[in-house]
Amino acid sequence: MPKVILTVDDSASVRQMVRFTLSDAGYTVMEAVDGRDALAKLAQPVNLIITDLNMPNLDGIGLIRAVRGNPACKGVPIIMLTTESHESRKQEGKAAGATGWIVKPFTTQQILAVVKKVLG
Amino acid sequence: MIDKPFAERNRGGAPTPGADAASQTGASRSDMAKYRQAFQEEARELLVELESALLELNDKRDDRELVGRAFRALHTIKGSGGMFGFDDIARFAHGLEAAFDRLRSGEIAATSSLINLALASGDQIKAMLDASAGSGAVDHSRSASILAELCELTGAQANEPCATQLSGGAPGAGDSGQARQWRIRFRPGEKVVLNGTNPLLLLQELRTLGPMRVTVDTAAIPPLREMDPECCYLGWDLLLTTPAAPDAIRDIFIFIEDECELSIEPVAERIAATPQTEVPDRKAVTGPGTASSIRVSAEKLDQLVNLVGELVTVQARLSEVASRRDDADILDISEAVDRLTAALRENSMSIRMLPLKSTFERFRRLVHDLGIELRKEVELTIEGADTELDKTVIDQLNDPLVHLIRNAMDHGIEAPEARRAAGKRATARIHLSAQHSGAHVLIRVSDDGRGVDVDRVRVRAIEQGLIGADARLSEQEILLLILAPGFSTARAVTDVSGRGVGMDVVRRSMEGLRGAVEIASKPGEGMTVTLRLPLTLAIIDGLLVRVGQSHFVLPLANSLECVELTRQDIRDAHGKHLANVRGEIIPYIRLREYFQIDAERPEREQIMLVETEHGQYGFVVDQVLGDHQTVIKNLGRLYRNVQVVSGATILGNGSVALILDPHRLVQNAIQSLSQRGRCEGRRARPGNRVSRQTLIQKGKQDRCNVK
Repeated sequence: MPKVILTVDDSASVRQMVRFTLSDAGYTVMEAVDGRDALAKLAQPVNLIITDLNMPNLDGIGLIRAVRGNPACKGVPIIMLTTESHESRKQEGKAAGATGWIVKPFTTQQILAVVKKVLG
Repeated sequence: MIDKPFAERNRGGAPTPGADAASQTGASRSDMAKYRQAFQEEARELLVELESALLELNDKRDDRELVGRAFRALHTIKGSGGMFGFDDIARFAHGLEAAFDRLRSGEIAATSSLINLALASGDQIKAMLDASAGSGAVDHSRSASILAELCELTGAQANEPCATQLSGGAPGAGDSGQARQWRIRFRPGEKVVLNGTNPLLLLQELRTLGPMRVTVDTAAIPPLREMDPECCYLGWDLLLTTPAAPDAIRDIFIFIEDECELSIEPVAERIAATPQTEVPDRKAVTGPGTASSIRVSAEKLDQLVNLVGELVTVQARLSEVASRRDDADILDISEAVDRLTAALRENSMSIRMLPLKSTFERFRRLVHDLGIELRKEVELTIEGADTELDKTVIDQLNDPLVHLIRNAMDHGIEAPEARRAAGKRATARIHLSAQHSGAHVLIRVSDDGRGVDVDRVRVRAIEQGLIGADARLSEQEILLLILAPGFSTARAVTDVSGRGVGMDVVRRSMEGLRGAVEIASKPGEGMTVTLRLPLTLAIIDGLLVRVGQSHFVLPLANSLECVELTRQDIRDAHGKHLANVRGEIIPYIRLREYFQIDAERPEREQIMLVETEHGQYGFVVDQVLGDHQTVIKNLGRLYRNVQVVSGATILGNGSVALILDPHRLVQNAIQSLSQRGRCEGRRARPGNRVSRQTLIQKGKQDRCNVK
């Protein structure tokens, strides 16, 4: 049973890259265009969430909080993608319950490495 | 394992747009090209979004949500641009994003100069995109000057992103080549599991660095009733033998660094390197990637629609053969294929349908820029932007709309002072709307300007020789003269419009799109131009009719009803081409005569009543065969001047039926009648088109005379 990864990003090109990379590596990838969309798609269980921080409707921090507040998603690893290396933004994400982060720009190898790191 | 420079950066370096994306990526070159193309398309959409946010912001300066929208667009352009190797775009967008970040936090206010500069920046990014796609060159000095101006405006330092330090990494990093033993004490925080970290995976990852001895520390486990099953109470002491540097070990714990106790100490003695066991890679099984949408090139869609068109034709042949054979089995299959084909047709057509939104939104910029140029205050309101139309129609809609809006801005809308003097709001309004109406979409451009002076149009049209001095035209007909080639009422030629070339474009595009134009105007209150467009150009529903051995298709959308015409009726009308349909007099055209078909006339003929721009008309045919789904085939270059036929279709038996354009047919018939001055014995006025009304009037008179 392939592991299911939800990629949440308002940028279609980033979603595409994440999807291609991860599905090539054998994961099943779902896409969501923003936090709100992601919450709707979380009706089915996922093994990992990779989310951008800056998004319309519901941003990444809000999504992380909502996921952590949802008993059904307990312990699901969440990786945040951020261009801001500002410590505060990252800390905010960590405090909200993010598992890890990837600083953009990243390569396909890097995203695979991080996914492997948190999913095993 | 995460590679070195990335881990360094992930630790909290500066943003690094595109520093290493293209070169280091694990993606193959073709993947990268694919991503780059996806980004280019996305960036163009984002620029439209940015522009519309900026223009709205211009009207609502305090709207935080709009600033947020602009910021997010820039942010994505920057972030994704950096990912796919568009370094110049990423750098440039970063400078702009920084300004919008300050705008977002309320440090600076949205001024019109900032907005204009941001609009210019959007154009610059577009130029960079074009250049990267291989068209045009970028003026890099312009990028610099925009950023400099931006700094001046925001009073900030040029927020140039720092160059990444991609050099070798921290001192001592990298493999020393010799294995050393490390004692690692790892006590994760109680909550790490809740936040999605699995300590076991970290231990496994450590093991990839070299052989490891693990001792678990269970001292922190509380008594059972105090234990929270979601907490992690375990700790580990590890003895790892690895050639890797301590930083590499530390990097494994990077995500929970501040949520755990971690100490890494070298064990004094050196030991020989032991061969590493390779961790088998996850087998690449391509899972069923679920996607909410995919991008497909328009060309592929056109191919699909063409194929579906062929299928519809073949299907028509199948049902023809099936009905001839009278074989229940074949009929059964034919009907199933029929249903499927119809569904497939609907489906592939709907794929080509696009909302008008992006086309409409583009005009905000036009209105904004023209407003500045003409010193008029104009707001653009948009309605029904979700209305969907075939992509080929949308593509050809831009030009006519540009001209209509320009015309409204330049001629229709008065200067603010004049508006105030007329007791109107100084800010004028242009309303762009779209709505469905049967198989058509109505697109309206209305303004609340001075409207069209019908008398003046008439005078100008006579001056320019477009109509005869004594022509009697309805108001609508006069208004439509605005669209005639070379027509202009403008006193002076302005930069914007008035050169008399613009509105002709509207007429020609509408003809190309098989659409129609209606103009309504109220002096002093404004003007509304309505474009009536077919939903799609590729396939129409038609009615198949027969005259002698020839078949024709009339568009179903225009067809009203079908009535019989007997010889007695013709005698009653005394040879006039007029039919009495429930008391209403309808002029008709005999297709037999029009196309000079040499075949015997049947006793009973049929009249197809058709709604045209010129009113209701009838077409007399031998027989109406029924409805016919029609794939439009072009007639080819030789026949492009044939106006009354909009295309052809292939029938089930392989013969060709011409698709008639009722509007043109009627127009041609009227024109040829008036040219020949043979309007049923009545002399037409020179230069005038005989309108339907005059035909009917004439008919009524004749009837009265008979009585």
